[in-house]
Order: sequence, then structure tokens, then C-alpha cells
Amino acid sequence: MSSALTPQSPSQVQAVAPVAVRKLKSESQWSLAWRRLRRHKLAMFGLFTLILIVFMSISADWLAPYPYDEIDLGKAYAPLMSPGGDGLPAHILGTDKLGRDILSRLMYAGRISLTVALATTILTMLVGTIMGAVAGSFGGWVDNILMRFADLMLTLPDLPILLILSSSLRQNQALTEFLGSNASVIIIIIILVVFGWMGVSRLVRGSVLTLRSQEFIQATQALGGSRARVIFSHLVPNSIAPIIVAATLGFGAVIISESALSFLGFGVMPPVPTWGNMLNEARNSPLEYLFTQALSPGFMIFLTVLSINFLGDGLRDALDPRLKL
Amino acid sequence: MTDYIIRRLIQSAVLLFFISMLLYVILNLVPGGPFDMLRLSNPRMTGSQLDRLNALLDLDKPLLPGQYCPQIGEIQEPCRFDQGRYLRWLGKVVQGDWGKSWTIANGKPVLGLIGGRLWYTVLLMGISLVVAIIIAVPIGIYSAIHQYSIIDYFVTALAFFGQSMPTFWTGLMAMAIFSVALGWFPTSGVRTAGSEGDIIEALGRVLSFGRSHPELAGQEWATIVDGLKHLALPAGVLVFFNLATWSRYTRTSMLEVLRQDYMRTARAKGLAERFVILKHGLRNALIPLITILALRIPSLFGGALITETIFSWPGMGRMLIDSIAGVDWPVVQGILVISSFLVVFSNFLGDLAYAWVDPRIQYS
Repeated sequence: MSSALTPQSPSQVQAVAPVAVRKLKSESQWSLAWRRLRRHKLAMFGLFTLILIVFMSISADWLAPYPYDEIDLGKAYAPLMSPGGDGLPAHILGTDKLGRDILSRLMYAGRISLTVALATTILTMLVGTIMGAVAGSFGGWVDNILMRFADLMLTLPDLPILLILSSSLRQNQALTEFLGSNASVIIIIIILVVFGWMGVSRLVRGSVLTLRSQEFIQATQALGGSRARVIFSHLVPNSIAPIIVAATLGFGAVIISESALSFLGFGVMPPVPTWGNMLNEARNSPLEYLFTQALSPGFMIFLTVLSINFLGDGLRDALDPRLKL
Repeated sequence: MTDYIIRRLIQSAVLLFFISMLLYVILNLVPGGPFDMLRLSNPRMTGSQLDRLNALLDLDKPLLPGQYCPQIGEIQEPCRFDQGRYLRWLGKVVQGDWGKSWTIANGKPVLGLIGGRLWYTVLLMGISLVVAIIIAVPIGIYSAIHQYSIIDYFVTALAFFGQSMPTFWTGLMAMAIFSVALGWFPTSGVRTAGSEGDIIEALGRVLSFGRSHPELAGQEWATIVDGLKHLALPAGVLVFFNLATWSRYTRTSMLEVLRQDYMRTARAKGLAERFVILKHGLRNALIPLITILALRIPSLFGGALITETIFSWPGMGRMLIDSIAGVDWPVVQGILVISSFLVVFSNFLGDLAYAWVDPRIQYS
């Protein structure tokens, strides 16, 4: 702001800060949480597995033995560990009805499933936090309308509406042309956000209401802090711990929702592979191949969601030790 | 208390009005109509013929109350006020007419279609819920009492696994293992092809002491056993899924109760440990479970969309999927409004039950 308030020049600060601050500064909330998280074995297992899955998906272009859409009709429904042709890598997890390598498809599918989940989670948290913070700090009729609206959205049967909207929005020519080749992916993200923000907004509203009457908020207001400042630099940071836990567990829930939609044929459309639509193809394959076709895509969903749940459990313990159970 | 009940009932009615309106508007704004297939298979059908067909179903009227300007082909008629399709639908629903199916069962009344599927869903969901609770509650109690024992870790792990395995995977794997590889159970459907009737009809005959379904005479029990075999896999998948949730709920609730002062008091009085756990602990631990049970009522009738679809179980969930895929909005609207009603109603019931079993809770 003005130099009158900061008598030291920047260079002075730099010279002093590293020595003085490091010695005096007590351990921050975040490094404490990280230490507690590191002791949680299951959470570390979850974190490690997730990093592995993300790495596997990102590096699909270099690591996948085959392109995800390379068709070899002579090799349809190859069993696990079947050798590839001359000089080609083996089909470790077999092939699907068009002879496409399942392992390669799993790696590419991870990209879509994880991207959908990540984008949905971030947007959901953003919308939910804003709604909850506004409802909680404005109070009165704003709060009333927003929360009644959230109630209404919570009572609506979500999965059927997801199915209806995604099947009909996909048929909308103008929208699909506007969104381009990833239309089905973007539509899914938007729908999941529209029907997913209520839980977070209730959470944030609740913690804003308990925080609002505390002294440091009144102090900010007395010092002339604007409403936006109160909300975004005091209320939201202080209710961040439960938001992080909700986001983590929400990420797992989105993976399941997206897979369920794609499994029922209402989600991400082939040829783009996701774990869900690979299971849909497995379901429509002849019964004797069902086991090999369904095993690996479902296992990836299971492993990802399990890791996320372990991590979420660990984060809950680490961020707020009072919330044990 | 009476005031509270009346206020809640009014609130619920208002909420349901808005929910059904929102559902109706969403469904009717979505593209697609009852004559899509007809038009595809008859390319020479003209626009005015289509208009006339739509007018027969009132589809040319406005959604919400407003001006209605009938136009059939080129002929423009004078505008007049119309109450709108939503209020017309609501008026008929109140009189028991839920409309007629557009595509999946052409022209049949929606309420009759729902009635035909309801008992299959109630049977599947009811059995899986009861079995899950019977297994999960003792497990949850045991693992709470012996917290941090090996069994407790096992139960916690099981709960994590169950919550992380979506039914569309466990369902496919159960089918691949138990019916394709081992051949223990049929893969899907509700009865063996070629048999006379199914389990619901046989149960109906047994419960009416042989007055209904005369064609099943003498083979009621064989039909029921056949039906149970078909029920085993879908119910098993749902039990596994519910088991995780219920054992975790019970464990958490029991752990909470075990910490209470009245438990220490009961022990200090010299009561037998068994008596303390069952009489003082369990009865209090079950209170939160009542609320959760009430919240499960809608799914009892709404069915399990995914499990029913995988195993071709002819319940409400499967009918919902079929009618969404077939753009049969009257059926979809009927099912969704009934299930929203059940959600609102069971929330209310849960709150009342909670106040009833726990005298500390006062609504005013």
C-alpha cells in the first residue's frame, strides 16, 4: 500500500527474514497435518497408489504398449497374458471384442475418468463454497432462498435426472458443435457440478455460522474490513479443513457417478474409453468372456476409489484430530 | 408437537409441488416426444399431421399457465388463456390418473405399469436390506466392543472395500463367477424360461390361500424356489453393498454410546457386562440407525437402477432406465414424483421416529 507503513526496504526484509523467522516460527498447521498424515499407513498407501494411477494415465502416450484404438479383429477376446504377434508386446490383460489391448485402453481411460473427477471436484467445491459462504454470512432472505434451493436439489432424484439430462443434452446439435469432440465429457462435468454442490455449501454455511460470531471476525468488521474480505480471507480459510476432506471423498464419489453413467450408456461415449464404458462393453460381450472383460476396468475403479477413501480418512484425522471416529 | 407436525406437512406439500413442477418442466423441455419413432418410420408424414397428433395429447399447450394460440398446419386460431400442461397433469394426478405410457407400453396407464413392477422391487430391496441389517448390526456391535482387535480391523477394511466397489462391478463379477463359471445361479431374469409363473405370482397364490393364479396350482413352492435362485445374485450384490454401510454405522454409533457416562454408571452399579451392553448400550446405539433406516425407505420402492439392469430384474429401477432410454416421459415423471414423495415423507417419518424413541428431542 504506502511506504509509510513499511519502513524497511525489501532488501532488509530479505536479509533478516530467513534467519529470524525460521528460528522463531513455530510449526505451521499444515506441516503438523502432514506429519499426522504420514503416520496414517492406509492414507499413505492411498496417496501412493493414486500417484501411481495418475502417473500411469499421464504417461499413457509413452508407456501404453498399443494405441487405445488399434483394432486387430483376428485377436478379439484374447485371454489374460496372451502373447502379441511377432515382435509385438504381449496383451497382459487380454483384448476386447475388436482385439484392442485392454491394458492400453485402461491407461487412456484413466485420463478421462480422472480428468472428469478432478474438474468436477474443483468446480463443485468452488460453487459450493461460494454458495455456502454467501448464505452463511449474508443470512436473512438470501440464506433462506439459497438453502431452500439446496433442499430442493437434494430431494430431486439425482441419478435419473443425470441420465435424462445427459442423454438429451447430447442430442442437442448446437451444444455438441459448440463443445467440440469432447462434448459428452464436458456435459457430464457440468451436470455433476449442478447436482453436486449442495453438500459442500451446507458444510461451509454451517462452519461460517459458527465462526461468524467469534471475536476475530468482529475485529475485522470493526477495523473496516469489507464483507468480501471477511468471507474470503477469514471465514473460508478457517473452514478449509472439512472442505478438503469433503473434496477428497467427493472425488471418489464422482469417479463412481461418472462410471455409473458411462456403464449405463449415458455417459462418455466410445471411442473415448473410460473405465465405465469399458465395463458397459464388457457387459455386452458373450458370457464366457465376461470375467476377463469386466475384471480390470472395474478393478481400476475400485482401486482408485479405495485409495481416495483411505486418503480422505487419513486427512480427516490429520486436519482435525477432534473429529475422531 | 401437533403444531410441528402440521407445519412439516405444509412444508412437505409445498416442497413436493415445486419438485414435481421442476421435474415436469425438465422432462418437457428436453427434446424428444411420443411420435419420434412414428415419424422416423413414416418419412412422408407432414408437419400438420404431427401437430394434430401432438394436439391430441395436449402437447401443443403451454407448459405453465399462459396464452395458448392453437395452430394446426397453416390455420391460426384465436389465442386464449390455458391452465398449462403441468397444472392439468397435477389435476389429473390428484384424481388418480397418472397419464398413459408413450412408448415402452403404448397407451397403458402409468399407475398400472408401476403397480406391475412394484412388488419385484420391494421383494429384492426388502430381502437385501433385512439380510444386510441382520448380519451387519451384530458385526458392528462386536467390532465396537472389541475396538482395535483383529476382527475390528477386518470389519473396517470390509466397510472400506464395500463402499469402494460399485455395484456395477460387483454385479458383473458375481455373474461371471457364480453363474457363468460355477453355474450355481441363473445369470438373469426372474424365472426359468418356459415356467408357468414367477415368484411374485406364486407368493400371491400362497398368501391368498390358493384363491389367485389357479394356473400355478401344485407348483407354488417350486416356483418360489426357482425365484429365490434368480434373486440370489442381485440380492447378494446389494447385501454386500449395504453390509459395508450398516456395519460402519452401527460401529460408529456403538462407539459413541460406549463412551457415555451412563455406561460407566451401569457398570458401577454392578450390572453384568452383557446386560450393560445389550440393555444400556445397544438400545441407545440403535437410535441413530432408525433415522438412517427411514432414509432408506425410498430406495425400498424406487429400486436399484444398476443392479436391476444388470440382472434384468423386472423392477422399478429397470423400468425407469427403459423409459428414460425410450423417451417415455409420463412413466418417468410418475416414477420420479412417487420417489420424491417417498423421500420427503420418509425424512419426515425419520424425524418423528427419532423424537419418539429419544425423549430428549423436543420439536416445537
